[in-house]
Amino acid sequence: MIVTALVLAPILIGLALYALPKAAAGAGRWIGVVVAALAFIAIAADAGAPDASVPWLARPFVANFHFGFGPISYWIVLLLAAITFSALLVAKLPRANAFAAQMLILQGAMSGVFLAKDLLPFALFWDLMLIPVFLMLLGWGAPARTARSHGTAAWRYLIYNVAGGLALLLATAAFGIVHGTTDVIGTPALPQSVAGEVWGSWIFAGFALAFLIKTPVWPFHTWMPDTYAESPPPVVAAVSAIQSKAGLYGFIVIGVPFLTDQMHAAAPVMIVLGLIALVYGALVALTQNDAKRIVAYSSLSHLGLILVAIFSFNPIALAGAVVYIVAHGLSSASTFLTLGFIEEREETRDLTRLGGLGTKNPRLAGAMLLSALAALGLPGLAGFAGELLILTGVFGAGLWWAALIALVPIVLAAAYMLRLFQSMMNGPAVADLPERRDLSWIEGIALAPLIAGFVLIGINPHPLVGLLANGANVVAHLR
Amino acid sequence: MSPTSVDFPAPVDFLTVLPAAIVALGALVGLFFDLLVPKATRRTLAVLVAAISLAGAGIVLAQQYGHDVVAFDGAFIQGGFSVAFSEIIVVATLATLGYGVGVGRDDQVAGSTALLLWSASGAMLMAGAANLMTIFLGLELLSLALYCLCAMSPRATARESALKYLILSSMASGVLLYGMALLFGASGSVSLAAIATARPTFMLELGAGLFLIGLAFKLGLVPFHVWMPDVFEGAPLAVTAFMSIVTKAGALAVLCRFAYGALPHDLSNAILVPVWVVAALSMLVGNLGALAQTDMKRLLAYSGIAQVGYIVIAFAGQTSLGVRYAIFYLAAYTFMNLGAFAVVALLARDADAVVGVNRFAGLAYRRPWLAAAMTFFVLGLAGLPPTVGFTGKLLILASSVSAGYAWLAGVLILGTLISIYVYFKIVRAMFARVDDAHVIDEHPAVLLPWVTVAICAVAVFVLGLVPLAPSNVLPLVR
Repeated sequence: MIVTALVLAPILIGLALYALPKAAAGAGRWIGVVVAALAFIAIAADAGAPDASVPWLARPFVANFHFGFGPISYWIVLLLAAITFSALLVAKLPRANAFAAQMLILQGAMSGVFLAKDLLPFALFWDLMLIPVFLMLLGWGAPARTARSHGTAAWRYLIYNVAGGLALLLATAAFGIVHGTTDVIGTPALPQSVAGEVWGSWIFAGFALAFLIKTPVWPFHTWMPDTYAESPPPVVAAVSAIQSKAGLYGFIVIGVPFLTDQMHAAAPVMIVLGLIALVYGALVALTQNDAKRIVAYSSLSHLGLILVAIFSFNPIALAGAVVYIVAHGLSSASTFLTLGFIEEREETRDLTRLGGLGTKNPRLAGAMLLSALAALGLPGLAGFAGELLILTGVFGAGLWWAALIALVPIVLAAAYMLRLFQSMMNGPAVADLPERRDLSWIEGIALAPLIAGFVLIGINPHPLVGLLANGANVVAHLR
Repeated sequence: MSPTSVDFPAPVDFLTVLPAAIVALGALVGLFFDLLVPKATRRTLAVLVAAISLAGAGIVLAQQYGHDVVAFDGAFIQGGFSVAFSEIIVVATLATLGYGVGVGRDDQVAGSTALLLWSASGAMLMAGAANLMTIFLGLELLSLALYCLCAMSPRATARESALKYLILSSMASGVLLYGMALLFGASGSVSLAAIATARPTFMLELGAGLFLIGLAFKLGLVPFHVWMPDVFEGAPLAVTAFMSIVTKAGALAVLCRFAYGALPHDLSNAILVPVWVVAALSMLVGNLGALAQTDMKRLLAYSGIAQVGYIVIAFAGQTSLGVRYAIFYLAAYTFMNLGAFAVVALLARDADAVVGVNRFAGLAYRRPWLAAAMTFFVLGLAGLPPTVGFTGKLLILASSVSAGYAWLAGVLILGTLISIYVYFKIVRAMFARVDDAHVIDEHPAVLLPWVTVAICAVAVFVLGLVPLAPSNVLPLVR
């Protein structure tokens, strides 16, 4: 019941916001904030909610609208509700009702992806979650530099991700034909049929393409910097924190149990791709002057590390991957939202034009510093817990060279995140920047749950991992 | 049994063609009443009579579902297959009536509505046709009425469109007829069942090839598609919408029955593989062609070429799942496409106006509900959730993969990816911010196309969750 409501209620309420009268222009945003807050409370209060399932297809294979909490998806959906809450709380955009509506539809669709226990609804919501992002990029994206370039980022986002979504759909259809059912997520692994061995590689290829594009991993990342740079802050917070995790989540809950052999066969390639993303992202982040692009490339780098962790097939690395998925979600959302505050005040996010904001806006600088430290993996914050577990696990799996290479970008992360912070907050104040107000209390409330999240997880990551060890069949397939 | 009773069909045989007969007679009744009533009520009356006869045919069809009857000595088979196709034809014709209360001037409406109904009854005959004569009868009834309908517009392009359609379609009919003659020569029978058991010869192969080429033309499959965008562009909007569904439904029914039931087993692969290749080409070329279009009718014509490709590949492997999902996708396409055409009709100033993609600019800010409906239909045509297009495409993919034609599924994916550019061009136009200066003033909203829009939108959503497909479809030929 609650699980179904988590998926459907935001979408239906979002659609209903379009029917609000023009006079109630601000109401939509507050309705959205309340919906997200209620979702958060509901998830936190009812972790043991039973699955909900409605039959969909009986032929040519069994597929159900089957939704439920999983050991990983529980935390991601909780995070999603928190981020939607924060993002809508500080969203200052024209046509606020329509924007809140799209954000709620996005929340519902992404909840659908992570809560789906059946591959077919998983694929359905996978495609569905692209549409609100596309529409928000069109309607509220950065103004076009030229008339021709209007909507380029939206376009690129859509084409890349639909390509992945279609590959996923074909792979899901083939999976259903081979195994007779797609209602498999969270169940024990299927016995591989003969057809499964023949088709397995193709099915894996379809899933892997979708997951790599979505994450994104080099060389499928070229949609990502534009999308992140041109999206309004609430959208980029939701996309970078939650949507980008869908691919990694897919590798863990679909790839590891059901395509085990193909995953092992692909591991060397995937680890190399992950390492390339890791190093490449870090190096590019060092050279950027656009604050949002720095964080975008740092995401590329960090998510590459998670890919390496998953394909090391080590339980500790996997636990680290789960911690890091949540940690990165928290830190990237708070970083992008804080960058949004700065851009809104100074009307630029070019590092060369910013400086000395720290003395004028100390609270803003504090929020930025915490987010940056979480992103670079300072011990005591969530990112460090994830990185440590991943590196230990990867080393333990005998991939010492991968662990060694992975160390370099982790050090570089300190360099680019501190450069980001210093260029904006430290140094002499730039003369042509007028006085702006400091972080308002409402912006503080928006950031508080995220910051509290990465501090608490940094101190005690055990709940994240504990649920995995107790309820998951995932670890059983690792060795 | 006396010898005379063999020559005359039993009364039950006539019941099988009752739906088509009701539709055809409805046209006559409409024409008759047209002579009696005053000018002001002509338009309403013609459409009303047509709607009643279509609804009657729909009800009779629904009752015939589930009873397989082989009538007229095997010339016509009414069963789950033909009922499903006929229902789609009936629904599409009803929706067409909803676009603009009849085609043409006041004094033309009774005639144009009658032609529409005759054309629909021809397509319904094709849906059940099981021998070459019935197929040709249905096809010509369908086409002859359409030649006239295409010309029913004061614009010069309409006459050009009609003439083009007449010449090219007659040529295709000629090719089809030549193929039929060869098939008859090779098998000694006009019955599809007899052709299937005939000795495979070169003449039979050639006949089947020509027959399929004729059909491919009627379906607008690549490389026999070039007539379609021009004809669609010139014809009145309602006629274009009607053609986009009804001609395809009739020809698809014939293609399916021929592919499943009329080919000798040893030959079926050799003859049909080119058909699958043509369908694969259609998926790619149709969508590529649609990329460059700025006129909505042309764009939907090209997209229709690709959509027919999606349906045809479901027949590959001749599985029972394939027919069922082809019918399901055709129904899906009917609602998605007619919904999109209805939105175009709402944007058009009058029945003949040209609607370009640029008419959609900023629509989301001017008429949000219309934009939402169009977005929904376009998502469906692109195969994205939460629409029946998603479910339909999934089922076709699944049946292709299970029939061993995974390469066709791959081409479908590629074609769909290209189509994303096409369909989202419209979405982008609607949702991108534009200057108010470019906004074109709307005429006041009319009610009737909205009814079509609403019904199609509900169907597109509900069918996606409840994939109904007829179950008793095979065998198609007895």
